[in-house]
Amino acid sequence: MGQERIDTRLLDELTEQSQDLNSDALRITREALEDYTEQAGQRRWWQRGGTLAAMAGGAALLGTVRATAAANSVDVMALQTAASIENLAVSVYTTAAALPFIKDGNKTVAAFITKTTAQHTAHGQAFNAAATQAGGAAQNNPDPKYAAIVKQTLPSIKSPADVVNLAITLEDVAAQTYTRNVSQVSSPQLRKLFASVAPVEAQHRATLLAVQALLAGGHPELIVLPPDVAKLPAAAGSVAFPDTFYPTKNASPVSEGAVK
Amino acid sequence: MTQRKGGWELPISEHELTRLTRDLDQAHQAYLPVMNTSAADLVEQIREQQHGGPAPFVPAASRRRVLLGVGGAVAAFALAACSSASSSKSAVAAGASSGAGAGSTAASASSSSMYTGDLQLVALATALENQAVGAYAAALAAAKAGRLGTVPPAVATFATTVMAQHADHAKAWNAVLIGAGKPAITNVPLSNQPLVLKALGAVTDVAGVAGLALQLEDQGAQTYLFATYNVTSPGGIATAASIAPVEAMHSAILNFVLGQYPVPDDFLPVDKAASPSLLTV
Repeated sequence: MGQERIDTRLLDELTEQSQDLNSDALRITREALEDYTEQAGQRRWWQRGGTLAAMAGGAALLGTVRATAAANSVDVMALQTAASIENLAVSVYTTAAALPFIKDGNKTVAAFITKTTAQHTAHGQAFNAAATQAGGAAQNNPDPKYAAIVKQTLPSIKSPADVVNLAITLEDVAAQTYTRNVSQVSSPQLRKLFASVAPVEAQHRATLLAVQALLAGGHPELIVLPPDVAKLPAAAGSVAFPDTFYPTKNASPVSEGAVK
Repeated sequence: MTQRKGGWELPISEHELTRLTRDLDQAHQAYLPVMNTSAADLVEQIREQQHGGPAPFVPAASRRRVLLGVGGAVAAFALAACSSASSSKSAVAAGASSGAGAGSTAASASSSSMYTGDLQLVALATALENQAVGAYAAALAAAKAGRLGTVPPAVATFATTVMAQHADHAKAWNAVLIGAGKPAITNVPLSNQPLVLKALGAVTDVAGVAGLALQLEDQGAQTYLFATYNVTSPGGIATAASIAPVEAMHSAILNFVLGQYPVPDDFLPVDKAASPSLLTV
């Protein structure tokens, strides 16, 4: 799109700026993190016991400690990958918000992008806080696989519909990944964290799918709150939730965005 | 373009509508085998937890009983919705959730229930799905009878599509109950059901139906979130995790229809989750 080509340095700057957004995110997730801290403390005590037993020659307990360490590794990698997906989403939405056809376009779409950016920022902070609590490092970089796809796609974005299409892809990957992560992490506290974020990403996707249908139908004027429900096409009542059970076949592996 | 009787023009081509509907159906059909496998795994896990022995024989007629069960719930709703009563806009919230949400009530659920452990949440989920199916069926029947005024096409499509998804959820959960040797949930054994029926009987327009549906969807999504960290079987966790986002998507569109922001929460809460103590069986 010529003069609207994206500068990757700008992306980096915007990513850094986005990390300062939504300062109340930690307050929102305090409860979950306190739960997780408590649980992690219990595990440390339990690990201490296992270590002492291993020093005394308990081979079975040593094996258990190894299994626990492996589980923790999966937890940390899943959290870091989740943070990397959130970082990428924040970067893309922040970039999109600055595009002329978004900034000066449909006000409802622009407002959605602003709010969604803040929500992804909150998610990223929550995942990174949990990763740190679990003994890992915070992930401040974007998911490498999808960052490459975004980098390849951004120059071809010429309209709100293009932005919506890209955003749908990212929201779906996030929702699928977290839905699968619920079954992969080792504690109820982490299950709760992933399971409380996956539906929010799914709601982003649902909203975007509805917007996509209205744009494809040539009716951007119907994208407004409150909507003129009588004028919405029949398809708007079904396009937003294409799956009876949320799939996970496109979920990212836990290692995809882990800190190397 | 399609011209409707009232003169309203569908702002999307028939071709596009057909394609979208076909895509939707294909996605639906593609996932069902995966869901069946997941349900089978869950049955096995619960059986191991509860019995530690071989699987109880499940007669072929049981599957038919499950399907009939959803139909029975719909019939009950249709009858009840015809008897109008005073409005109760917060019927679901008042009846389904304690102030502290499900989190504080799981342990205090009735010990005399025939569904215990993970199966208690499975039974609760089934009942909630039946409740939703019945509510949408009653709303569609009321719309057809002209009791809701003019019903926009998008709203009718929404109710039809969502009702089918809830019916599939109920079938999946009932398959788990039957597989574990428990009776299928064929109606809505929830103590808040009278309040829901009362509210349904009182709605007179689309906004009223959408508001009530939003309460049911929020309750469903949050109950599944609660289940993800309160059930122990991996299959149960995975199934709950795969349904919660779908119910949340329903909520997003209902919020939009009601003129409210479609993604109101940064993190899905559980304050509206149904308590297992709602179960009356």
